[in-house]
Amino acid sequence: MKMKIAMIGWEYPPFKAGGLATHCYGLTRSLADKNVKVYFFMPKTKHIANSDHQNLVIKEAGETEIFPYDHPEDEALAGKFFEAVHRYNKLVVAKVKAVAKSEGRFDFIHAHDWLTMEASMILKEEMGVPLVLTIHSTEYDRSGWLNPNQWFIDIERKGMEKADRIIAVSHFTKRVIVEKYGINPNKISVVHNAVYPIPEGKKQEIVLFLGRLTIQKGAEFFLKAARKVLDYEPDVRFVVAGIGDMLPCLIDQAVDLGISNRVIFTGRLTEEEVKHIYGISSVYIMPSVSEPFGITALEAISAGTPTIASKTSGVCETFNNCLKVDFWDTDEIATKIISLLRYESLRTSLAENGKKEIELFTWDNVAGKTIDVYNGIDVERLKKQLKGREKIYKWNQKLASRDYDLSLSLGPKTKKVR
Amino acid sequence: MTSICLYFEVHQPMRLNHFSVFNIGANHDRNSDYFDQKLNQQIFEKVAKKCYLPTNKVLLDLINRYDGKFRVSFSLTGTFIEYCERYMPSVLDSFKELFATGAVDLIEETYYHSLSSMYDDLDEFEKQIKMHREKIKRIFNYKPKIFRNTETIYDNRIARKINELGYKGIITEGADKILGRRSPNYLYKPFDTDIKVLLRNYKLSDDIGFRFSTHNWSEFPLTADKYAKWISHCEGDLVNLFIDYETFGEHQWIETGIFEFLKHLPGEVLKHNHLDFVTVSEAVERYQPVGEIDVPWAISWADEDRNVSTWLGNDMQIACFNELKNIGRRLKEKGNEMLLKTWRCLQTSDHLYYCSTKGLADGNVHAYFSPYDNPYEGFMNYMNILQDLKQRVML
Repeated sequence: MKMKIAMIGWEYPPFKAGGLATHCYGLTRSLADKNVKVYFFMPKTKHIANSDHQNLVIKEAGETEIFPYDHPEDEALAGKFFEAVHRYNKLVVAKVKAVAKSEGRFDFIHAHDWLTMEASMILKEEMGVPLVLTIHSTEYDRSGWLNPNQWFIDIERKGMEKADRIIAVSHFTKRVIVEKYGINPNKISVVHNAVYPIPEGKKQEIVLFLGRLTIQKGAEFFLKAARKVLDYEPDVRFVVAGIGDMLPCLIDQAVDLGISNRVIFTGRLTEEEVKHIYGISSVYIMPSVSEPFGITALEAISAGTPTIASKTSGVCETFNNCLKVDFWDTDEIATKIISLLRYESLRTSLAENGKKEIELFTWDNVAGKTIDVYNGIDVERLKKQLKGREKIYKWNQKLASRDYDLSLSLGPKTKKVR
Repeated sequence: MTSICLYFEVHQPMRLNHFSVFNIGANHDRNSDYFDQKLNQQIFEKVAKKCYLPTNKVLLDLINRYDGKFRVSFSLTGTFIEYCERYMPSVLDSFKELFATGAVDLIEETYYHSLSSMYDDLDEFEKQIKMHREKIKRIFNYKPKIFRNTETIYDNRIARKINELGYKGIITEGADKILGRRSPNYLYKPFDTDIKVLLRNYKLSDDIGFRFSTHNWSEFPLTADKYAKWISHCEGDLVNLFIDYETFGEHQWIETGIFEFLKHLPGEVLKHNHLDFVTVSEAVERYQPVGEIDVPWAISWADEDRNVSTWLGNDMQIACFNELKNIGRRLKEKGNEMLLKTWRCLQTSDHLYYCSTKGLADGNVHAYFSPYDNPYEGFMNYMNILQDLKQRVML
């Protein structure tokens, strides 16, 4: 019998704010190709998402003002934030139940990240269906480990505890889930992300940053490195593509560094523009402070663009053919940019081997591994086990709430001897 | 009678300092600071304690116990001997002691374990062979008769040159692609040169070098009597077992039982009446070539490919190699001895080996010996140094 999934998402192309949309798009389509029936629940948006696949049905659960990267401090939402989250989750519950009633029982509920945690927990409880949770990022990542908000941490922990299985997008994220949220590692599977390759363009002397301009993504380090590069290679152009709350300070920073004539801030780009800029750039930099995976690195590499990625990213733990740096080490980022600009053989080797390695990162693979996770859930056994282990979790939870170092140090480490 | 020719390669590269693009052209007043002396000393002393000293002692005991019937050959690179002189003369003394038994032969090679045999002309290759010859002469008062090129790189041109320089034999890999269905257990000759070629029996050599401690190998554990039995069943004049010396105690740790294997090997071999041990010189004196080999494109003992792609297989390696050659051309016109020495140290093949991207795109990282996190780091560091040297040469 065909497996039937209620997947509760947030963003879906053409509406897109981050890697979550890319992931849900790739995953749902490949699951559908593998003969899994997927109902994808998402908020109503201006751009209507469509499916041309008979196994994939998009269901809009209603309207909402919240955004997955919002914080309750945001003025526009003021105190209404929690209320808005709660309201949307209620809409999701009602919608999923209605669909289950008309189209038959779901085998699994599969949810992504914090926003719909509440709904997925209620649905698991009330419908008696196992819950799979994919963690794309945690509050620690989004805050750059500086001021994580307890409200998000609490809702994330509740969802993780409730979930029958958790999919983490990297070992890095699995570790955070275990160490900071006190979750049993045995119920966490790591499934790395994938990419739909982007065509290579005619390369220009452009060094690219692309991502949300938030503290998590480390664009400030990109600008600091740019300053150093320009002392040696004055003709290079630096492009900062994307929007976010840090945009004004980044523009100020570029002015202060005296490089505003060499840095272009593009603002929001369309899908087509994104592909174009990946294709024509010579170097892509992902200096994230904390990056559970980092699909943009794979996108750049697929477009034949040599990539320098932060060691604190999931992609670095699984991908060989990119350069790896500590995000705070702007000297090292700068030397690598200069080396890439000067040494053609380094660029061609990274581009060629990178494109070859990219072929291993397909959504088909991700869907296959996700189905393995569904199949691995022995519903009855899991229920018993989880009950017995509740005590251990509680204890772990206590341990995790203590503020101990996760050794994700933000300061300079001693250099490795070579 | 079948003879066993056991030969060990002994080499340590000069590892480089971290050298960023910002360093290029920054310190031209100072003496070269390309080499990480501290790290090199550390590694050398570690390997000396784990491998060189204990293995030399085992070999000396065996030679004495079997009254010279157990015989081996060594190839010591110039950089290795320099390390001994600088950091641990006792290591060199133990090699001298072994050589003094008369059961040990020494092999010639390029002083810097370089790829100079791949240059457009062979002047530098010849120069480095002569430097090695002088070093061996000064330390051991001996002139080697057999030559083995870096990583057994070999082609027709190299064979002709080595013949011209007066050597009696040359060692290379018993690669299937040059032998076809013929056996490596005989001497051969190059098709247009009169020199004897010793071919490494890669299967039996790798049984010790690579597979010895591999638990899922069907022959695990490998014992000396089993191994001696395999050899006793070999057809041919000569079984050439050529192995990295660091196999003993370094690649294969003492816990694997590699030293026990070595200690029992001569006794087990000599139980078979038709087996004995010879040095490389004795092998070419005793036996005659049975056929010709024709090698127009260079082969080596590295990887499955058995060619030079491990050092010259990607764009980065070729860029560095060309840079090295160009710098050399300019340097020789200029004749600066200090820079010439630096340039030669940078020719050691290991630097190019660290830039190899073989297997990297398949998601499997080579479990190879490199001080770098990945080949791209290796390339940037090496290339930056070459750029700095180039600027110095132009000054």
